[in-house]
Amino acid sequence: MPFLRLTTGTFGQLRSFATSAALGKKVKTFAIYRWNPDEPDKKPYVQNYEVDLDDCAPMVLDALLKIKNEMDPTLTFRRSCREGVCGSCAMNIDGVNTLACISHIDQSISKPSKIYPLPHMYVVKDLVPDLTNFYKQYQSIEPWLQRDKEAVKGKETQLLQDVDDRAKLDGLYECVLCACCSTSCPSYWWNGDKYLGPAVLMQAYRWIIDSRDDATDKRLSKLKDTYSVYRCHTIMNCTRTCPKGLNPGRAIAQIKTLLSGMVKKDSPIMDPAGLEKKAASN
Amino acid sequence: MALFTCGRLGSKSVLATIGRLPASVSTAQYAQAAVPSVTFKKFEEPRVEHHDVKNTRLNRPLSPHMTIYSFPLPAMLSITHRASGIILTTYASAMGIGALCLPNDISYYMTIVESLNLSAATIFAAKALIASPLGYHLANGIRHLYWDTAKGLSIKEVYATGYAMLAASVVITLLLASL
Repeated sequence: MPFLRLTTGTFGQLRSFATSAALGKKVKTFAIYRWNPDEPDKKPYVQNYEVDLDDCAPMVLDALLKIKNEMDPTLTFRRSCREGVCGSCAMNIDGVNTLACISHIDQSISKPSKIYPLPHMYVVKDLVPDLTNFYKQYQSIEPWLQRDKEAVKGKETQLLQDVDDRAKLDGLYECVLCACCSTSCPSYWWNGDKYLGPAVLMQAYRWIIDSRDDATDKRLSKLKDTYSVYRCHTIMNCTRTCPKGLNPGRAIAQIKTLLSGMVKKDSPIMDPAGLEKKAASN
Repeated sequence: MALFTCGRLGSKSVLATIGRLPASVSTAQYAQAAVPSVTFKKFEEPRVEHHDVKNTRLNRPLSPHMTIYSFPLPAMLSITHRASGIILTTYASAMGIGALCLPNDISYYMTIVESLNLSAATIFAAKALIASPLGYHLANGIRHLYWDTAKGLSIKEVYATGYAMLAASVVITLLLASL
């Protein structure tokens, strides 16, 4: 037993020696927004954490995980895939909304890295915002394929789509709904209850122009009011901030051209129900 | 479990019987209490609480926005467009209200300005200052009209047209000021 204590002591000394030596090197301060619902009297505040960059993987999410694992287990944030495909770790890093897992830590240690939750959202805890309204708006655009004649169960046939028609969905379907763009938009800040926001509108456009979808007119007429689309003033914060490099701003402009009648949706190059008709004639 | 322990402790048949006794009683009670009258509650829609109401009830703070966001150039140009629009509206309403309410017409006030004997440079600067909202709003307005055709909306083009628009607005302002 005394021997065991001796070894832990030695290791402990070695460890503290290693950290104190590193302190002189590359220590970056992370200023992180904190709010705990279990302490209702305490106002939201910013807490500083010092992370040795030589002992930390390169992404901001790595630093957050290091803080949570080694310094403060109460720090709360969402994360899952750690490679930019799930959209969970969306947050405001140094003034710009992005995914923590695919943004590099700013290597200049002179100024702290500021991390806030997505702007103008209700905070559940620390860096976790309440996205209920965002998801509800996504639900409101009915993000699924709608046909005039729904397929009979057991007799479904594949819907046909030309390569060129499919190409129109590129740059739209890749969205992971991280809400970075919507929460970067001042219009969404002030009218988030009625304006749908760039992320949801881009998905609305994705279903409007799908050559296999028959509900185009219904979808467009649902957007025809002063708030749903027209609160977009082409500020373009959305496109600027999108961590996936997509262009929601342009998608909204394209919805506007469709709503105004300047542009009409092309008829499908290939009849989506081609296989079904062929099966019926045989 | 209790039964098992009792049996082990006592290893006498009496204790074991005592241990077993309550068990048989409770079984009898259970049999009597069986088939309770079932009442059904009428189905009620789950109460949907409004997003804002729920979050206010939970005392959740609103995350910071204006104060922490670092606005890129296109966003700054956009807010300036609105500001210049407001200034132009103020010009129009001031002239309208002025024409209605002021005792003299505009030429009277122009002679007052002329009688101040300001230097040419001061006049030019004042004219440029007054004309700049018009120059800016005109140039950026054309950029917005181009955007309304859903063109020129990649980030690269947004920046390029932004710089071009700024240059054009300076030219328009200088032209107007030199009139």
